[in-house]
Amino acid sequence: MNSLALVLVIPFASAVVLGLLHGRPRLERAVNLASCLGLTAFVFWLLAYVDAHGIQTTMIAGYQAPFGIALVADRLSCLMLCLSMAVGSIALVVSLSTVTADQERSFFHPLFQVLLLGVNWAFVTGDLFNLFVAYEVMLVGSYGLMMVGAGRAQVRQGLMYIAINLVGGSLFIFGLALLYALVGTLNMADIAQRTAELAGPRAAAVTAVSMVLLIVFALKAAAFPLFFWLPDSYPIVPTGVNGYFAGLLTKVGVYSLLRVFVMTFRQDGQELVLEILLVLSGFTMLLGVLGALCQWDIRRVLSWHIISQVGYMVMGIGLAANAGMARVAVAATVFYVTHHIIVKSSLFMLAGVAEGLTGSSQLKRMGGVVGLAPGTAALFLIAAFSLAGMPPFSGFLSKVLLMRVGLADDQWVIVAIAVATSFFTLLSMLKIWSYAYWGKAPLGAPFAGWRLATAPAAVLVLATVVLGLWAQPLLRYADAAADEVTRPQAYIEAVLGPRQTARAAGEAP
Amino acid sequence: MSVLLALAVGVLFGAAVYLILSPHLVRMVIGFGLLSNAVNLAMIASGGFTLRHEAPFVDDSQVVANLMDPLPPDIILTAIVINFAVGALFLIVAYVVYRDFGTANPDKLPPPSDAT
Repeated sequence: MNSLALVLVIPFASAVVLGLLHGRPRLERAVNLASCLGLTAFVFWLLAYVDAHGIQTTMIAGYQAPFGIALVADRLSCLMLCLSMAVGSIALVVSLSTVTADQERSFFHPLFQVLLLGVNWAFVTGDLFNLFVAYEVMLVGSYGLMMVGAGRAQVRQGLMYIAINLVGGSLFIFGLALLYALVGTLNMADIAQRTAELAGPRAAAVTAVSMVLLIVFALKAAAFPLFFWLPDSYPIVPTGVNGYFAGLLTKVGVYSLLRVFVMTFRQDGQELVLEILLVLSGFTMLLGVLGALCQWDIRRVLSWHIISQVGYMVMGIGLAANAGMARVAVAATVFYVTHHIIVKSSLFMLAGVAEGLTGSSQLKRMGGVVGLAPGTAALFLIAAFSLAGMPPFSGFLSKVLLMRVGLADDQWVIVAIAVATSFFTLLSMLKIWSYAYWGKAPLGAPFAGWRLATAPAAVLVLATVVLGLWAQPLLRYADAAADEVTRPQAYIEAVLGPRQTARAAGEAP
Repeated sequence: MSVLLALAVGVLFGAAVYLILSPHLVRMVIGFGLLSNAVNLAMIASGGFTLRHEAPFVDDSQVVANLMDPLPPDIILTAIVINFAVGALFLIVAYVVYRDFGTANPDKLPPPSDAT
């Protein structure tokens, strides 16, 4: 199916066109929005198509895998693409009412499409080297948006963000070099097929090499101990786009961990990496939420919460170490990722509105949003409760699923940490609520466009309520996606073709 | 050949880490340049490169033997382009930081919580 390349071609073409339209803001807005909505419709159609007809692949320029570049859409990729484009479109609508003329002059619109291109590319590629390229494209887009119309603070933080990611990118290529020397391929399906036959010292060597990639992905996902860059970088991103940053960018790292360590590496002793991830997830959850508790800037509080939430998702991946539990653990993780992207993005957007209304992001100088805009306050409360895991929202269900897997696997410690983290999350959300939403509103001109900026976030909040009350369709889909990831035979056949797989099966004794 | 490459990669890596950790933005830029070169050399080594290998251009009539693996150079080309672009971006941002804050020492910049 060649139309799969559209998820890359449309953002790329839009970025070029938007670059050429520079200086005509109204036209730029219209083109950007049309491109986002069009691609959103396409990826939702793709999700339905893949769900009905199985995994779809495209070989770029017609070269056969594993030599050519493969684009692969399985259920997991499609779900991530849908979340990326839906949240992207919503973030864009919020941005249209918050972006300044100065930011638009600094190429806000083309950079946004470059960011979408990078994220979509990371979700749809079937090749580890392409994943590296996707990371770099995504980073260029995010550096750009972070510093668009920048002040001193943005530039200062942007520098550190670039530096940390340059190191990560170099390590990524280094890991790929070692992997290529050992396995002789970088195509994920091919690696999955070849490593499944490995045992003994060679398998141990592959596991050791995969640790380099573990560092890269953990850095991207902001897992312990590589999360220090996140709380300094995310608060400086412009309102609106920061919902997309918060929802999607670290989740690209989580997706890579899931795709590479659960599906791609299948050699003997691979569970070791997942067991390490399980330990890291405990620290990530707890340190993230404790970091949030001692912050007094609403954006920094929410940024620290991203870290602790990443801990839950990494916990799900770590629980896949037990082969018998792998499928349910991955299904719970997929559900959690969906819930998290929706809720976290809406929280960032609503916090941006609260900030506009009160004129500050410092909790002690905010207040009275309940009086100024009761609707916005109610939406924030729902999203905050969902993040903490209160029923009947999607956060409750996703945490229950994860903890049920943990208990079935007798991992008491990690489940206890998860419960404690959820409690602290609620505490921290109540802190935001009592300082920013209750109390007396500070004097000053309230932000005029708040209604326009709230409406898109309301769509996301509605989604978390619906997912909490009517979860069966997503649960079924997540389970099917987990089946594809944990038993990759269908994926390998879709990428390498039945001919190659049959030959490999014929060679086996 | 691979011992020589391994040594070169090790030396470049060491120098790069030293420069990136040093408190000067220009040194950090040079460090990132060395780091990407170290990684590129590692990539060459991963293809099993020796001086006896031929360049991977094939005529149909000729027997294909002793050719170099074409994939690692291919990957390196892409990586060089990307590292060049990101390195240039880093250099610009480093210059803007120097212009705005009047120091090229990252340790002397104001803490991020004050700057936001």
